[in-house]
Amino acid sequence: MALTKMVLSSAILVGCGSQDSPSSMDPLALLPEQIDGWTRSDSVAIYDRETIFDYINGAGEVYRSYAFELVWVVTYTSPESPAVTVELFDMGNPADAYGVFSYSREREEAGIGGGYEHRGSVLCFWQNRFYVCVASEPGTAGSDQALVDVARAVSAELPPGSDRPNLVRLLPSEGLVPLSERFFHLHPTLNYHYYVARENLLNLNIGTNVALGRYQPGDTYLLIVSYENESAATNARLSFRRGYLPGSGSSRVVATENGRFVSLLSYSRFVVVVLDAESADQADRLAQDAVNRLYDSLDWGA
Amino acid sequence: MAQEQAGLTRRDFMKGVGSVALGVTAGLPSTAFERPGQADTSRVVLIRNQDVVHGVRDTDGALVQQMLDDAMVALFRLADASECWKQIIRPDDIVGIKTNVWHYLPTPPELEQAIRRAVLDAGVSEENIALGDRGILQNDIFRRSTALINTRPMRTHSWSGVGSLLKNYITFSHPPDYHADACASLAELWDLPITKGKTRLNVLVMLTPQFHNIGPHHFDPSYTWPYGGLIVSTDAVAADAVGLQIIQQKRRLVFGEERPLQPTAHHIALADTQYHLGNADMSKIDLVRLGWEEDSLI
Repeated sequence: MALTKMVLSSAILVGCGSQDSPSSMDPLALLPEQIDGWTRSDSVAIYDRETIFDYINGAGEVYRSYAFELVWVVTYTSPESPAVTVELFDMGNPADAYGVFSYSREREEAGIGGGYEHRGSVLCFWQNRFYVCVASEPGTAGSDQALVDVARAVSAELPPGSDRPNLVRLLPSEGLVPLSERFFHLHPTLNYHYYVARENLLNLNIGTNVALGRYQPGDTYLLIVSYENESAATNARLSFRRGYLPGSGSSRVVATENGRFVSLLSYSRFVVVVLDAESADQADRLAQDAVNRLYDSLDWGA
Repeated sequence: MAQEQAGLTRRDFMKGVGSVALGVTAGLPSTAFERPGQADTSRVVLIRNQDVVHGVRDTDGALVQQMLDDAMVALFRLADASECWKQIIRPDDIVGIKTNVWHYLPTPPELEQAIRRAVLDAGVSEENIALGDRGILQNDIFRRSTALINTRPMRTHSWSGVGSLLKNYITFSHPPDYHADACASLAELWDLPITKGKTRLNVLVMLTPQFHNIGPHHFDPSYTWPYGGLIVSTDAVAADAVGLQIIQQKRRLVFGEERPLQPTAHHIALADTQYHLGNADMSKIDLVRLGWEEDSLI
């Protein structure tokens, strides 16, 4: 169903059927009518992959770089406080809900969904296939607690389950900088987090899964990419070697012009890249550690 | 050239090759009275007033009018602002004022109206002036326009590094068509039949610029600051390059370290080096500073 922006009333939605597909889901069933002194509006605005730009200028592409399907927007009002807006993003699957949460996360707290970030006048969390943001007008008295209260109440109505993507869990923990883990699919997102090249050297596409982490010592990045099959992984490894490590033969570790080191390995349908390692040894160990974890974990379906 | 740039890697920047190719001076790819080609230098006026804003979307209309007038006089070096406007707008022009309606940080209505008044004063009839952003392709004035005035606030942007004057023309087309490679080809928007050769003035709003993205809409007012500035030029590329320098310096000060934009705003440098739309190289920009000088960051 190709939706344009729609505003639905609860009366229209009463009696909607299955909750399985987003287009038939009743978002109001997931959003409590009353939360303490807050009352939910009867209407909900809906934006899909095509109309997201009408609602979120610019950042719309961020959602579209994941399996984003719809966002529902409702307002909660209180006689004594400014309105609170709740945005319920259906990200298609839990991995992508985590992915969009991790996209620009700078801090994270536990206790709501799979984790939440509260900065300024916005609180966002992810849970199951949903990414949820609760926002108030900034600087309003008591709004911080209101955001937490509303977010907890919404979380209680959403399906449980917030396991991070397996690929992210495969990032070696030793030296991993807290909150540096990202999960995504596309080349522009890789360049957002770590500029590699204008060309899509790793053949990233909507079907590839990427886990990225930053490591200490130094400012080293580890990239694990999961491809559809081993052939695709091999092609990507060769493409990256041609484009980023020309003339390096089959060397596992290559020194770069900034005095750092790159390591490139592939295993089964995965490619592992270490970037900006402090030493050849660090590059090699980190890449091998990741491959070992992949080897031990293949039956997770990572 | 295009083929070479398509393959630019991080290692090219380590070698310095990328910096030269993209016309930037350090690190990763960081930085229009229309004319057929680039001028040798581009004049850009940066004017600031510490009292012009009291917060995001809280602008003193009288001061903004004064700033715009002063900037025009400095830009065109004529005796008064109305004479300057007559240099760029003819009474028989059909004028589209391309603004920006983004809810969180729109072009201030006070500035929109100051521009509109100036166009009226230049002799254009009211029915031949339109203000618009989304939906301008369906707007008869924009479709028939002979002159464009381009104005919007400067902000960091999650897909193009910054949203500024070059990006403001994206609603003249289908926006996703220009999203590849961090919107590297935005300068092509200026070559569309509806825009080509029409832009007479660019006003980059630096009243409360945004220097960092957070949240679902990638905006929070805590990452704006009262800079109180306007950047005015006939060269959109040069104006954007100046604005970009200010944003990058603000990020250095606030974060206490080099925090490159994510993604890098290389569309601005490419507008110079690849598309030859204007000057992004600061050595080719004649920057005229007016007004409040404290913490100008450039």
